[in-house]
Amino acid sequence: MSGEGKRKYINRLKSFLPLRSKIDETYKKSLEAIQMGRPVAWAMINAWYGDPILRAIELETVYPENFSAVCAAEGVAESYLNRADADGFPSHLCGYARNCFGYVSRMTKELGGKIPPEAPIGGMPKPIFLLSSNIGCDARYKWFQALGRYLDVPVWVLDMPIPGVKELFRDGVYERCIRFIVEELKEFVYFLERVLGVKMDWDRLEKTVHDIEEMNRVWFEINELRKTIPCPMHSRDFWSAMPPSLFLAGKPAETLILYQEMLKEVKERVDHKVSSIHTEEKFRILFSELPPWHSLSVFENMAERGWNFVIESWGYHPPPPLDLSGISDPLEHIARFSFHFHTAYFKDALKEGEYYGYMGYPLLKFAREYKCDGAFFHLPLTCRSTSTHQLYLQEKMKQKLKIPSMIVSGDIVDLRLFNPAEVIRRMKPFEESMESYRELRE
Amino acid sequence: MPGGSRGVTRAKDLYRDRFRRAKELKEEGRKILGYICLHAPVEMMTALQIIPFRMLGDIYETPTEVDRFLPRAFCPFVRSVFDLSLKGKYDFLDGMLLVHSCDAMERTGRIWESVVDHHYFHFMDLPTKVSERHQNFFREGLDDFKKTLEELTGKELSFKELKKAIESHNEQRRLVRSLYEITEKVPPKISGSEILQVIGAITSISVEEGNKLLREVLAEIGKRKSGKLKGPRILVWGSVLDHPAFVEMIEDLGAHVVIDDLCTGTRGYWVDVKLDGDLLSSLAYYYLVELRCPRTFKEAPSDGKRKDYSADLEERFSYLREFTKTWKVDGAILQSVKYCDCHGFEVPQVKDYFNSFGIPSFVLEHNYMIADREILKTRVEAFLEILRGGVE
Repeated sequence: MSGEGKRKYINRLKSFLPLRSKIDETYKKSLEAIQMGRPVAWAMINAWYGDPILRAIELETVYPENFSAVCAAEGVAESYLNRADADGFPSHLCGYARNCFGYVSRMTKELGGKIPPEAPIGGMPKPIFLLSSNIGCDARYKWFQALGRYLDVPVWVLDMPIPGVKELFRDGVYERCIRFIVEELKEFVYFLERVLGVKMDWDRLEKTVHDIEEMNRVWFEINELRKTIPCPMHSRDFWSAMPPSLFLAGKPAETLILYQEMLKEVKERVDHKVSSIHTEEKFRILFSELPPWHSLSVFENMAERGWNFVIESWGYHPPPPLDLSGISDPLEHIARFSFHFHTAYFKDALKEGEYYGYMGYPLLKFAREYKCDGAFFHLPLTCRSTSTHQLYLQEKMKQKLKIPSMIVSGDIVDLRLFNPAEVIRRMKPFEESMESYRELRE
Repeated sequence: MPGGSRGVTRAKDLYRDRFRRAKELKEEGRKILGYICLHAPVEMMTALQIIPFRMLGDIYETPTEVDRFLPRAFCPFVRSVFDLSLKGKYDFLDGMLLVHSCDAMERTGRIWESVVDHHYFHFMDLPTKVSERHQNFFREGLDDFKKTLEELTGKELSFKELKKAIESHNEQRRLVRSLYEITEKVPPKISGSEILQVIGAITSISVEEGNKLLREVLAEIGKRKSGKLKGPRILVWGSVLDHPAFVEMIEDLGAHVVIDDLCTGTRGYWVDVKLDGDLLSSLAYYYLVELRCPRTFKEAPSDGKRKDYSADLEERFSYLREFTKTWKVDGAILQSVKYCDCHGFEVPQVKDYFNSFGIPSFVLEHNYMIADREILKTRVEAFLEILRGGVE
């Protein structure tokens, strides 16, 4: 990539470095514990639904979605994908899931349950159970159900209500959903206690939940500051700093301190009008979905031309802070926080006659509030969950906000589907488009 | 009544032009609500004199308008239905009920509501699991739906009317099962593609009219002479097949499609809604627990520490073994539209289950559109050849 080894145009935050070290250290410690034989669960990313409980009960957890992304980056995914094909899974299914099927197939059918030697980051040992949920997509529970072909371990599904935008505001619906989630959580705790043979430490859970809320409050505040012109923090820093919030990588109490340091640095930049790119901020861009991890240097090319990535998709950000001070039950805290994540923007969406209250509308709101000139949609071809809303948003941004966007196809596992050269080729015409829409807006 | 026709001919007429009768009824002052997936509690609409109209796609019409809103790597059936809606073909509807049956429906529903102007649009969530607690939660959702229907019609949905509507729909379920009883015989007097058309027809008219039509069809088929046994007896499993072309193609190759596990076939008709106690609870049980669709998470009871795969398959698919035995099935075609995650994840497990009792099965993915059929034909032909080697 032309950005490699050249002058860096993205002005990275210094505070992301200790955060990154903490994440690496956490992974390493967890891996060592697993290698020592501690039980491990496999979990889907669950938006602070099951994770706080797993942390409080101190169960080591690995995330097959993350593992599959690493397999892709390390070049071992292809052989796993081929195995999944041979085992009869359709090739259009989620790339992460297919990678996981191939991995587990190799582990159980060929290696008698041993971790494949080629597996990156120590691999994933056989779990004691699988924690899935309907959050995000159907694949998140169908995938783990299908693993029953290879693994004789239970699957626990956390069901999250997913109401419509206007339906949420019918009498009693919101509180009914909360009560339902609390019951889901209670059953999950009983299940865990049975499987692990230990009792939940409720004080520890309360502390964990409190730390998660505080940590996310600060993380939210940091991202709010990115509305400033010039934007003080680039998407590259967001992605580097996101795992402690999204996957609870690291102890939330320690992350809170590191996020506070980051907040201080971002505030200083705001006060001194320091931009997150070294060039003039010509275009403020919204980035939709996860980036092409293997081609991040393309962002240097864009920064060189004055593109500043100021905000990302809803799904990777914490919800706006919620006052839960009057609530003592930690399970209700979790229920309200996680449900709030999904529904926090429904009220505003309804006011604007938009019914895609999560995934869709928040991006319209972000594009407006972060004063974006354009949007960059990375469309992962085997992930319906993160690609369904993109064309719709492209249309809505153009119609309602007069903001143009470009869609670039890629994939979450098959790295060959993203072409950085195409992005570079399309930069100039897109700049012209952004300029002409800017005139239209003005 | 289209052209004054009766029985099978009338069913085929209605199927060919599914909008016509609905538009006539609309002109007569009836309210018509659209729904797509089987999880829509049609009984509640019927109880308030609303005609539930199942919205289908069109395998002959290339989707164009939908490209503005949905990617191409997406459920082609949903794309097709949404495309027709964007082109105004469903404008005669008074509104829509969209149930959270899968991601494709749920996500598209939100876009649909944002870009298509319907007087009434209700999104109904559906839990993933089936415990009593989940049923109760869904029952509350049904109660919300009831209130919206009452607001729409200005009438109260009474116990008596709901009971009557459930009885009528149960009657329809029994009549459809009678159709499938005919295909138990060797050779069957009615083809699989005819059954799909009859079902396509009755989901475009009122339940009373549909039941009358079914009785005519049954009477007519009863008088048919038995044909010849042409070839293997096939079970078709999988995602939505809202047009008989696929089944016709199999039958044109000399096989009999005698039974199916499709949401446009048996799935909506195999079990009755219970009429005892609280009727909304009965509907919740039926639509969440009884209705077969891979979108719902079901598993065999266990000690919670170890999962038994065989027991799980038995719990989820034992009806397929019964189908195979009762309908004397020689082979199963496991078909699915591309990008259907719920069925896609299920395919290897269903195949494992058929393998467990020695029934050959064959997996076929397609793009929903008619243009795909010729490509699929060769592959189906090869499978039938294998079966013929065993049955002839």
